[in-house]
Amino acid sequence: MLQNIWSIFLDRKEFFLDLLWEHLGISLLAILIAILFGGIVGILISEFQRTAKPALGVINFLYTIPSISMLGFLIPFSGIGNATAVIALTIYALLPMVRNTHTGMTNVDPAIIEAAAGMGSTRLQILWKIKLPLAMPVILSGIRNMVTMTIALAGIASFIGAGGLGVAIYRGITTNNTAMTMAGSALIALLALVMDLLLGFVEKRMGMRSIKAKKENRMLAIAALALCVCIAISTMFALGGGDTIRIATKPMTEQYILGEMLDILIEGDTDLNVELTQGVGGGTSNIQPAMESGEFDLYPEYTGTGWNMVLKKDGLYTEDLFASMQQEYQDSLHMQWAGMYGFNNTYGLVVRNEIAQKYHIQTYSDLQKISKELVFGAEYDFFEREDGYDALCKTYGLSFKKTMDMDIGLKYQAISQDKIDVMVIFTTDGQLSVSDVTVLQDDKNFYPSYLCGNVIRSEILEEHPELMDIFHRLTDTISDEDMAQMNYAVESQDKEPREVAESFLKDANLIK
Amino acid sequence: MNTAIELKNIKKAYGDKVILEGFCLSVARGEFVTIIGSSGCGKTTVLKMINGLIKPTSGDVFVDGENIRSKNIIQLRRNIGYAIQGSVLFPHMTVGQNISYVPNLLNKRDRARTRSAVSKWMGIVGLDEELKDRYPSELSGGQQQRVGIARALAASPDILLMDEPFGAVDEITRSQLQTELRQIYEKTGITVLFVTHDISEALKLGTKVLVMDQGIIQQYARPDELMRKPATDFVKQLVQL
Repeated sequence: MLQNIWSIFLDRKEFFLDLLWEHLGISLLAILIAILFGGIVGILISEFQRTAKPALGVINFLYTIPSISMLGFLIPFSGIGNATAVIALTIYALLPMVRNTHTGMTNVDPAIIEAAAGMGSTRLQILWKIKLPLAMPVILSGIRNMVTMTIALAGIASFIGAGGLGVAIYRGITTNNTAMTMAGSALIALLALVMDLLLGFVEKRMGMRSIKAKKENRMLAIAALALCVCIAISTMFALGGGDTIRIATKPMTEQYILGEMLDILIEGDTDLNVELTQGVGGGTSNIQPAMESGEFDLYPEYTGTGWNMVLKKDGLYTEDLFASMQQEYQDSLHMQWAGMYGFNNTYGLVVRNEIAQKYHIQTYSDLQKISKELVFGAEYDFFEREDGYDALCKTYGLSFKKTMDMDIGLKYQAISQDKIDVMVIFTTDGQLSVSDVTVLQDDKNFYPSYLCGNVIRSEILEEHPELMDIFHRLTDTISDEDMAQMNYAVESQDKEPREVAESFLKDANLIK
Repeated sequence: MNTAIELKNIKKAYGDKVILEGFCLSVARGEFVTIIGSSGCGKTTVLKMINGLIKPTSGDVFVDGENIRSKNIIQLRRNIGYAIQGSVLFPHMTVGQNISYVPNLLNKRDRARTRSAVSKWMGIVGLDEELKDRYPSELSGGQQQRVGIARALAASPDILLMDEPFGAVDEITRSQLQTELRQIYEKTGITVLFVTHDISEALKLGTKVLVMDQGIIQQYARPDELMRKPATDFVKQLVQL
C-alpha cells in the first residue's frame, strides 16, 4: 500500500501540490481570523468576568455541532465552496483560542496585577504590559492545538465543494481508489505535523529573553505574518485570465469523467477557462441551489432527476415529457438542457447472487416474498426522491428488515462484504460487471428514464454561444455500454478519469 | 502643607465583618512611620487605603491635604512609591525594565532621564550596574528586594508605602537592607509608611510607631516613648518581647 501511495503521489504531483496549497490557504485564513477574533473575545471575557460564562457556553455549544451539519447549515447563507469552509473552520477554531486566552489571562498571579495597579498603571496598561505577556505561553499552546485541529478538519471541506486535500480523499472514496484517499490523508497529516513543529519553534523563540533574540523575533514575526496573509488571500482570489465557466459534478465516477470531457473540450476549443469542482457532496441537492445562485454555470444531470427532484413533479418521467421539461427549465429557472449524451443511467435493483439463487428471485415483484429478511442499501438521494425508496416499496409491496443509507462510492463494497442484501444500482455502474450480484427485472416498469445531458444557465449560453457547438458535438456520442466501460476503467482498472475521458474523445474523433 | 497623609474616621467592613471603625491617623511630612500589629489587625488595609487599592466603606483619606476621592487615582499612584512583600517583580521584564516601570508610565519619551534614574537608584540600593539586564529569576532574594525598593523609588516620589518588604530574606540581608533604607530616608526626606510584624524592626526604623490590634490603635508615638510609657497591656507585651 505504501508503494501505491508514493507512486500515485509522484504520478499526480501537480494535482496534490495544488490541493496542498489550497488546503494551507483555507486553513490559514480560518486560523488567522480565529486568532484575531478569538483573541479579542478571550481578552474581553477575561476583563469582564460576568460575560465569561455565557460566552464560553455559546462557543462550547457551537463546538459540539458535528462539522458536516455545520457546513450544511451554512450553505444557504454563504453558498458552496471555500467561503463556507473558512467560516465553519473559524467557528471550530474559536473554542481553543478563546478558552486558552481566557485561562491564560485569568491565571496571571493576582499579586503581580495588584503591584502594577498600585504603581499607577491604567487598566489598559496592565492588560498590555503585564497580563498579555504573562498569558502568552498558555495562549500559544492553545494556538498550537487549534492549528493542528483546523488543518485536520479542513479535510472535510471538500464535501461541500471547497478545495484542499479533502478533494483527493473524497475522490478516492467515490472512485474506489484507496491509494488516492490514503495519499490525501497522509498529506494532511504531514501538513499538520510541519505546522506544529513550526509553532514549537515559535514557542521556543518566544521563551528567549536576550535583547538580540527579541529583536530578531520581531522581524521574524512580521515576515511570517506577511507570508501567511499572502497565502491566505491567494487562495480566496484565484486569478483566472479571461472568462471562466464554472462546472460542477456529482460525486460519481461517471460524472468525474464527463466533467473532464467538458474541461478538455471547452478549454481546448474555446477561449474560455474552466473551473471544475468535482464531486460536490449531496449531488443535485447542493448543486442546483448553487446553479440558481450563479455559483455554478453548468453541470451534467439526468432527465428523470430534473423532472422529479428539481421541478418536483409527481409521477413517472418518460422522454415524451422532455419538451415540457425544457420549457419549464427555461421559464422558471432560466436554465436549459443541452448536449444529451445518449446513455441512460437509470436505477436498477440487484440482489446478492446467493440470495437470488436460494429464493429464485428474478424480478422486483419476486422480492416481496422475502423482503422482510433483507437489508436494503442505497445512497442518500434515493431515500429523498419522489421515485425513490417509499414509492418503490409501495408499488411492489416491499418491506425491508433494515435500510442503510450510504455514500454512492461505498455501496459495492458494502454488498461484497455482505453488509447489505439488496442494493440500488445504476445501469452504467462500472463495478456491475464484476460484482457477485443479479440484476433484477423491473416488471412493473417502475423506473423512469434518466438520460444524461448538461444543464447550463441560459445567461451563460447566451454570452458564450460557442459552447453550443461543443454540446452539438457531444450529442448522442456515449452509449450505455460506453459509459459502463469507462466507469469500469476508472473504478477497477485504476485509470484516472481524465485519462479515460481523453482516450474516449480521441477514439470518437472529438479531439485530435 | 505639613500633614502628608491623613485618615479621618475610616470605617472598613466586608459584609458583617468590620476591620476598621472610627480610625484616625495623621502623618507629618518627612516622618518614617512603622505600623505594627498581629495578623489581621488591619495594617495592610490602612496602607492600601492611601493609594486607593482599597476604598473605605466610609470616611476620608487625604494626601497632601486633598481628598483622594477627588483626585485622579492613576496620577496619585504614580507619585507614591509602592513596595510589597516578596517584592513581586515582573518576571517577564529585566531588572532595568522593572525599575523603569513608573518613570515610563510618567514620561515614556525621555529615555535618557529614565536611564539615569535607573542607574542612580541601583547605585543607592547597592546593586551592581551589570545586573540591569538580568531577569528576576536570576537574582538572589536580597537582590530582588533591592530591586523592589529601587522600583518603588525610581520616580522619586514624595511618599513611600512598604508592606513587609524584607519579610522574605535572611537575617543578615534584612539587617543590611534596613540600614540602607534608613540611609535613603535620611538623605531624601521622603515620607514613609512601613508595615511590619517585627517589633525590633519597627522600633529600629521608625521615627514614629503605630501599634494596632484588631483595627484599634493602641499607641502612636516615638519609639522611645513606646518603650518607656506603653499605653496599653498589648503594647507593653509587645515591647517586652
